[in-house]
Amino acid sequence: MNRRRFLQAGSAFVALPYFETFAAKQEKTTTPPKRMMFLAFGWGVTQQEWYPDQEDIGKDYKLPEMLKPLAKNKQDFTLIQNLWNKHSDGGHWGSTQWLTGANRYAQPGVSFSNSISVDQVAAEQFGMHTRFNSIQLNGSEKNVHASGHGPGLSLAWDKRGKPVGGQNSPFEAYHKLFSKGKTSIDELKKQLADKRSVLDVVLTNAKSLKRELGKVDKAKLEEYFSGIRDIELRLAKEEKWFDVPRPQASVDEPPKEIQGKNEIALMYDIMVAAIQTDSTRVLTYRQPVRTLLTSIGVTVHQHDMSHYHYSNNPKCEASKKRDLAQSELLNGMINKLKSTKDFDGSSLFDNTTVVYGSNLRYGHLLDNCPTIIAGGGSGVRMGEHMVMPKDTSLCNLWLTLLQGSGVKAESFSDSTGTLDEIKA
Amino acid sequence: MKVTFLVVCMASFFAVSLSADEKSSHTLFDIKNKTFLEDNCQRCHNAKKKKGKFRVDNLSYKIDSNLTAASWQKILDSLNSNEMPPEDEDQPDGNKKADFLDALANTMVKARKSLSSQNGVITMRRLNRREYSNSLRELLGVEINVMELPGDTSPGGFDTVGSNLFMSSNQIEQYLSLGKEALVEAFIWKNSQNVKKKLRFEAEKLSEKYKKYIAKIIDAKARAERWKAGVEAAMAKPENKAIMVKLKKEFKHDSKIRRQWAQIKGAPAPEDFGFNTKENNSDKANSALRPYYLEYFQHYMTLPNIDRGAYLTIPTVHPSVLPTGYLEFQKPHSWPAGNYIVRIKAGADQKAPKDRRLLEFGVNAAHGKVMSTHEVTAPLDNPQVIEIPITFTRKHTSHQSRQVFFREKASDYYLSNPRRVFNKAKKENKLGLEYVLWVDWMEIERLPNTHIVAPGIEALEVPLDNKAKNIDQKALRRSFENFSQIAFRGEKAPKEFIDRLMNIYAEQRENKSKHVDALQYTLSIVLASPMFIYISEPSEDKKARALTGEELATRLAFFLWGAPADKQLTQLGKSGELFKSKVLKSETKRLLDDPRSSDFVHSFSYQWLGLDRLAFFEADVKKFLKFDDSVKVNAKREIYETISYTLRNNLSLKNLLKSDYVIINNVMANFYGIPGVNSDEFIKVPVPEDSPRGGLLGMSAIHLMGGNGDESNPVERGVWVLKKLLNDPPPPAPANVPLITRLANKALTTREKVTMHQELPQCKSCHRKIDPIGFGLENFDAVGQWRTENSYHPLGKNGKRDKKRVKKWTIDSSGALHKGPSFKDYFELRDIIASKADAFSHGFSQSLVEYALGRPSGISDEMLIEKMVKGSKSHAMRDMIHILVSSKTFKTK
Repeated sequence: MNRRRFLQAGSAFVALPYFETFAAKQEKTTTPPKRMMFLAFGWGVTQQEWYPDQEDIGKDYKLPEMLKPLAKNKQDFTLIQNLWNKHSDGGHWGSTQWLTGANRYAQPGVSFSNSISVDQVAAEQFGMHTRFNSIQLNGSEKNVHASGHGPGLSLAWDKRGKPVGGQNSPFEAYHKLFSKGKTSIDELKKQLADKRSVLDVVLTNAKSLKRELGKVDKAKLEEYFSGIRDIELRLAKEEKWFDVPRPQASVDEPPKEIQGKNEIALMYDIMVAAIQTDSTRVLTYRQPVRTLLTSIGVTVHQHDMSHYHYSNNPKCEASKKRDLAQSELLNGMINKLKSTKDFDGSSLFDNTTVVYGSNLRYGHLLDNCPTIIAGGGSGVRMGEHMVMPKDTSLCNLWLTLLQGSGVKAESFSDSTGTLDEIKA
Repeated sequence: MKVTFLVVCMASFFAVSLSADEKSSHTLFDIKNKTFLEDNCQRCHNAKKKKGKFRVDNLSYKIDSNLTAASWQKILDSLNSNEMPPEDEDQPDGNKKADFLDALANTMVKARKSLSSQNGVITMRRLNRREYSNSLRELLGVEINVMELPGDTSPGGFDTVGSNLFMSSNQIEQYLSLGKEALVEAFIWKNSQNVKKKLRFEAEKLSEKYKKYIAKIIDAKARAERWKAGVEAAMAKPENKAIMVKLKKEFKHDSKIRRQWAQIKGAPAPEDFGFNTKENNSDKANSALRPYYLEYFQHYMTLPNIDRGAYLTIPTVHPSVLPTGYLEFQKPHSWPAGNYIVRIKAGADQKAPKDRRLLEFGVNAAHGKVMSTHEVTAPLDNPQVIEIPITFTRKHTSHQSRQVFFREKASDYYLSNPRRVFNKAKKENKLGLEYVLWVDWMEIERLPNTHIVAPGIEALEVPLDNKAKNIDQKALRRSFENFSQIAFRGEKAPKEFIDRLMNIYAEQRENKSKHVDALQYTLSIVLASPMFIYISEPSEDKKARALTGEELATRLAFFLWGAPADKQLTQLGKSGELFKSKVLKSETKRLLDDPRSSDFVHSFSYQWLGLDRLAFFEADVKKFLKFDDSVKVNAKREIYETISYTLRNNLSLKNLLKSDYVIINNVMANFYGIPGVNSDEFIKVPVPEDSPRGGLLGMSAIHLMGGNGDESNPVERGVWVLKKLLNDPPPPAPANVPLITRLANKALTTREKVTMHQELPQCKSCHRKIDPIGFGLENFDAVGQWRTENSYHPLGKNGKRDKKRVKKWTIDSSGALHKGPSFKDYFELRDIIASKADAFSHGFSQSLVEYALGRPSGISDEMLIEKMVKGSKSHAMRDMIHILVSSKTFKTK
């Protein structure tokens, strides 16, 4: 990508005011809404240099080498140790159960099942206020396995435990969020009517098929019906938003082909633009790792990298380079959120929860998942290194963040309670 | 309703119900393992103490529920992670712990499998991505790119297993747009079916470019020399004495001093000699003084026949200046989508080594991958014409996607390190890499496609263009009916569905859509409808029933073609003839002999043998110069071609474990060092008894998967052999096992390093089985070349290879299988593995059943699998397929 253009895209945020037009559709309120962002990477981290010493807790902890790029923002994120999903068992599944906490064997008769992810729980409540209930983003690489994420179409899983798809490049994301067709509202309405008639036809077809089926097959076909219902809900929402013009994007249209570090940076730009324009309040991003490695000149095979065994070898060097690049990117995200104003004069950072991590620590290790929280969206104390009792459920954190962000939830997945000790 | 088509007389034969024991599938954990728990766990985890609210004294050794499985999983996890027994307690004996973990981990694999078994129930499923694409091809005669759909290869299952094939709203919309795309493409093919085009590109254009380029660099050199003389004259002037002393002190090389010409009074500017770029022009002039490839290019001009053609060589200078590395041309933009033939007339220097007489063909010269490799057998003075078929779709519009190229078989290494290759050759012959390949011309021709069968297009009784004023509504209705019926694999669409299609078409026309747009729009809905997307075999719950004739035809066709049944098979299904074992057998044979069965060979082999690992990483081309793009493409093909050969000739599966022949082409023959193979196509070539080649274990691609592109990985290889060849899959690598870091960065052999795995009992339990096999394959490097030595460079403190601490060793491939026979080298290991054909055949059959039926294979399939293994004549591949197809299971929903 053109570096100059990239810089322009990055700096454009500071100057832009909050877009009043979008507040129009929004509930009348004087306080800005809460937002949640989940950023996941596969293949874990370089554990001996990514985690602070478990004894060295509190505000004055020594920032580990791999987090040094975040030094200037040390007061604005919190690292929590000893969280995990006890049911997860995929040694290479960095994100399949990260936000769900599900037991893949929970459903008899199938070898894999999942449950709703925490972002979708938030989206159910936040989504009614914005054009998009939630946005799911993915790396643009074709081979998802190369980034160590495990099965899924994004980080998000719907309430039936089925994978939710998303946009797979900054280009796609940009167009989903900001693309302004030249079509008039009348035409849009016409198009919508067309889409609905199409759905009617396939629905007729599905119904005639259903009549002949047994219970198991009917359940299978139910997925198709749910798919149609999802489209209908989305169309209904589109209709509601027809008269609200698409927001002016504070980023340029990204190039179609871009991979690696610049791709992630651009995607972060778009994510910030998405909440800045209040197009959505819930975003997930399943980050590419393989192409990130390629873009920073690492040729070591990704799986080898996550099995470096000891320091001072090419695999471990690769792993560290990856950590530093990812920390640098996260630092950029925090900076952007801090320097972008919300409509009441506070910064987006004050009203957003950024969750950064993975279900995978290193190799096949699934306990003490790397977890960083940044932002004031859910009332977590910032600038600290916290160590939870060994094997605390990640779902307890998810529940804490949900409640902290104002989502009415009593429990989440296998949560046993909230993490009161992390609250401000 | 579908059931009414059921051939009644057949029904009684196939009335089946699930037997009782299938419903209560369970796995037993050998009770003798109780001692280990009593000795090491029970003191705390008993009825009285119940430490951690967990008891081991009352555990059920019959694992028949997820709850029981979870308790055993907990024991497995806490032993693996060293959490239990607690540090301050007595620790179990290492070997006993390893044995216990071995037994428990394997039992858990079985238990998980049986608990997730569907008890023989086949879930209705949607077409997977491959079948969807094939179905569009069968219906419309065209292939489109469907890569945006999910890949459908799920964790541990085949892409035919219905319960794992989900549907989402994204996908429904993708079906609508992809269906439209396929229709548009098909209309173009139909409307241009008679279009014939042909264009020739003379290669001498490249020679002309050489001529011009040489003149240009000679002229630049002369100008640069005049500039240099001018600068030197100025340097010699007395007024520059002081500055020259300073510059000479500062810069060693004359060229660097000339770069400072502006400081030298009276020195001429390079701009005055025609060096006018936006960069530093003195750099340009300096480099023009020593044109690196001039002699080499001048030599080109002395070669014979450059006025009638051109020679190919390595890419020397930037291709925008002079494309020495390839010849290219573009398919004209206006030529429609369709089947094309590309031709090239070329000859090769017969004195050149065989590996240099190969042409690589592809699309997109700058970034494209090699699509095929072709040997030029004809001499320079009597060139031959090579023909390559290629399809262009309407999506191939960009400059790059229409650009066809030919280049010398040249690795990525050549492309990225031309100077190194050039210098090496220059050292030997004082000139540079010899020009070996001469090209006369290249040609592209569009073929008429009147013979292409597209039943979906044939079914349309309305015009396929916008010329007609009025569209006959009856014809339109018939079109929708016929098209839907073919798309729905013979099932008639309900009247209501057709009514609605008619409405959609009418609505579109009212909205000022033209006829063709409205037609395509409406038909695309058919291609997103469940009756097209789902393969359904309607039945009442839990009651197995015999398939109808049509259903059997569909199941057979999707099994062997990944596509719907053709007319003949559909007809035989409809009439019930297909139930006759003779007919079923001959149809199975016909399907296997049809080229469409390549879908079966590819997708089944890919999933059965786990070839997805091939895409995981790239081989290190600097380390493995011979493993270039062509070899990479062909190494992968070798697996498919070998399996295809085995299937075509109904050979024994044993041949995949060891054979006295290989199925290779010239590229692989050169790579393996097998002489006398000139064929671009894969053919049978005998190999001597002492050759490491012959069978899967001798294949480059198999070893490529068992490494990281740089070094071999004995663990990956051992696991693969256990899983795929010996049908004894080790449990998945357990999560949360502590690390061994004791020997960090020590100079050790691969074997020494890997053996560390066996220090901890929780690692040993599996690695004692895995590692010996991997060691036995160490004679193959990361790209499958034979080696007898290996080395390892630990890193120094600077993070670079420490040359002083290099460890070199002769490979010792001897070992013994865990609790099994010992072997002194690879060849003996191969013989041991080859002697276990029953196990191999069992694993193959199990996979085949899953793939064919679209459900996990369970206990209920054991009898059938046993029959496939034992009932086939010496594991003959086709016989096994016939046994499966003729089984009751295959004919039952």
